Amino acid sequence: MALVEIRSLTKQFRKGDEIITPLNDVDLDIEQGDFVSLMGASGSGKSTLLNALAGIDPPTSGSITVRGTDITRLSRSRLADWRAANIGYIFQMHNLIPVLTAYENVELPLLLLPFSAAERHKRVLVALEAVSLLDRVNHYPRQLSGGQEQRVGIARAIVANPTIIVGDEPTGDLDAVTTEQILDLVQRLNSELGMTLLLVTHDPKVAALAPRQLRLEQGKLIEKGREVSIVGSDPHERSA
Amino acid sequence: MFRFAPYVFKSLWRHRGRTLLTVTGSAVALFVFCFVTAVQQGLERLTKDKQAERTLITFQENRFCPASSKLPEDYARTVAKLPGVKGVVPIKVFTNNCRASLDVVVFHGLPTDQLQSARDLTLLTGSWTEYAAKTDGAIVGQAVANRRRLKVGQKFTLGEVTVSVVGTCRSAVPAEDNFIFTHLDFLQRARGKNSVGTVTQLEVQLADNADADALASQIDAAFHSGPVATTTRSKGVFQRDTLADLAELIGLAHWLGYACVGLVLALVATTTVMAVQDRLKEHAVLQTLGLRPLRIFRLVLAESMLQSATGGALGIGIGMILLAWGGFSVGAEGVTIAFQPSLDMLVTGGAVSLVVGVLAGIVPGWQAARAEIVTALRQA
Ligand SMILES: Nc1ncnc2c1ncn2[C@@H]1O[C@H](COP(=O)(O)OP(=O)(O)OP(=O)(O)O)[C@@H](O)[C@H]1O
Ligand SMILES: [Mg+2]
Repeated sequence: MALVEIRSLTKQFRKGDEIITPLNDVDLDIEQGDFVSLMGASGSGKSTLLNALAGIDPPTSGSITVRGTDITRLSRSRLADWRAANIGYIFQMHNLIPVLTAYENVELPLLLLPFSAAERHKRVLVALEAVSLLDRVNHYPRQLSGGQEQRVGIARAIVANPTIIVGDEPTGDLDAVTTEQILDLVQRLNSELGMTLLLVTHDPKVAALAPRQLRLEQGKLIEKGREVSIVGSDPHERSA
Repeated sequence: MFRFAPYVFKSLWRHRGRTLLTVTGSAVALFVFCFVTAVQQGLERLTKDKQAERTLITFQENRFCPASSKLPEDYARTVAKLPGVKGVVPIKVFTNNCRASLDVVVFHGLPTDQLQSARDLTLLTGSWTEYAAKTDGAIVGQAVANRRRLKVGQKFTLGEVTVSVVGTCRSAVPAEDNFIFTHLDFLQRARGKNSVGTVTQLEVQLADNADADALASQIDAAFHSGPVATTTRSKGVFQRDTLADLAELIGLAHWLGYACVGLVLALVATTTVMAVQDRLKEHAVLQTLGLRPLRIFRLVLAESMLQSATGGALGIGIGMILLAWGGFSVGAEGVTIAFQPSLDMLVTGGAVSLVVGVLAGIVPGWQAARAEIVTALRQA
């Protein structure tokens, strides 16, 4: 059984009497430790898919099973608890809380989990060290550069050691050099820490970093190098 | 919950201008609320307390201002003989102002040997022996003493009456803190020869089993055909009748109290609605991180309650301190209402600001909690 099993996922929006179907009967498996990139034209439904997986945008139909739990069946509060424990979300615009310091921003997700103060402290420092920001612990977001803010955002996403890290164009707002740094960081999260990643991007170069590359076209997922419509990595093939 | 306290405080601090205005607004409203409550409680004390029910006041018929009521002093002896009467205190009342006023000074002249038994006074300064020894000696209630800055050894003049202050006192009845107690015969003489032998009113203390109404009619009947006819009422009714005009105004002030509550509610609710609208996206981010909708709701509620409660605490605190030190009172025709802080006021005021804080946060809190995460995240 894959870490994430998405089955017959459909999402429709109604605009007047026009119905938009950005996700039409989509299937996808993601394994533990996978690094998946997701491309597609603007408006193709990339964010919609990512948000459904992140548990913040309920689909119209279909199921999303993560470690045996179908999250489409959870109540709003249960789903919130599930996100706290399982999802690390890297936003395009970092979305740090402006009144909190870098340290406090990174600590936020841990406040929702049963960690002691000492444990929280340790984890926050580890996460900030991973993004090389130990010297900015007490800085507020407005005192940080765009790239630094995004690194704090990444530290916040990884601090609770979530099941999956999702990023919706995490480099979309950054210049070339900073993008380079962030991508390097993201890659190490996968290769060194074994974290499972799903990255939405417009940039083919960014997408190329990922071992698994997906495209959304007309509501359907296509995986590079495979023709089958059910896109799942074969565990036998992988272990071989 | 407390893990998010720094976030709540820092969010309020980020908009400290707005927060300060809201807190100040609630403080002013609760301050006014305290004063309105104090006036009402003062009036209620006058008309509803136990002592006021078991005491009758005999006044000249159809007279209201103490200056115009002139009863022969020997009426006291006649009344004292009636069954059911425990004691009679003839009192001469002299006041600077018969109309409603905020700075009423009221002299009460009581027979020297009856002052201590008829009134529950605690001396704050001075001595009773000094009082007994000085013909023009006066024991000054603490509220007047504070307001007029009177100290033992000073002379105090009001109209044609000049007294020597020999003591200041606190009374068990707050309204009496606005009185100046003197010897009866001194006050009678001070007001010109024609008031010797007359008093303003008789204070009749009832025996435990006496029927107040029956006794009141009995007293009035006894003097019906005498030189001066009387009207006898319980002290509570007497005070209420005397203050009838003021009481009506005070009844109106009651609505002012409600208006204050409404004002705080509107103010805190406005601020909270603005705070929530400013932070739709921030709340969506918090939800994405895994905060439950209920938690968002509680965070918003905490913000509105903090502002309302801080303002309330300030307003009530300042109000109560002023009431305690200011010795404020309002009076008419020799009867005064003392404004005093009370535990009741503290509890009611505190409860009002907490409840208002909760009410003000409910709708915006609910909006914040129910907002669709994805839609809110899309906002710039
Ligand atoms: N709340 C909504 N109501 C109606 N239509 C919506 C809503 N949200 C998204 N859509 C539509 O769904 C489609 C997919 O949107 P989505 O944001 O997933 O696209 P995307 O691939 O992320 O695009 P981009 O690359 O521009 O971010 C779009 O056509 C969009 O207009
Ligand atoms: Mg998108």
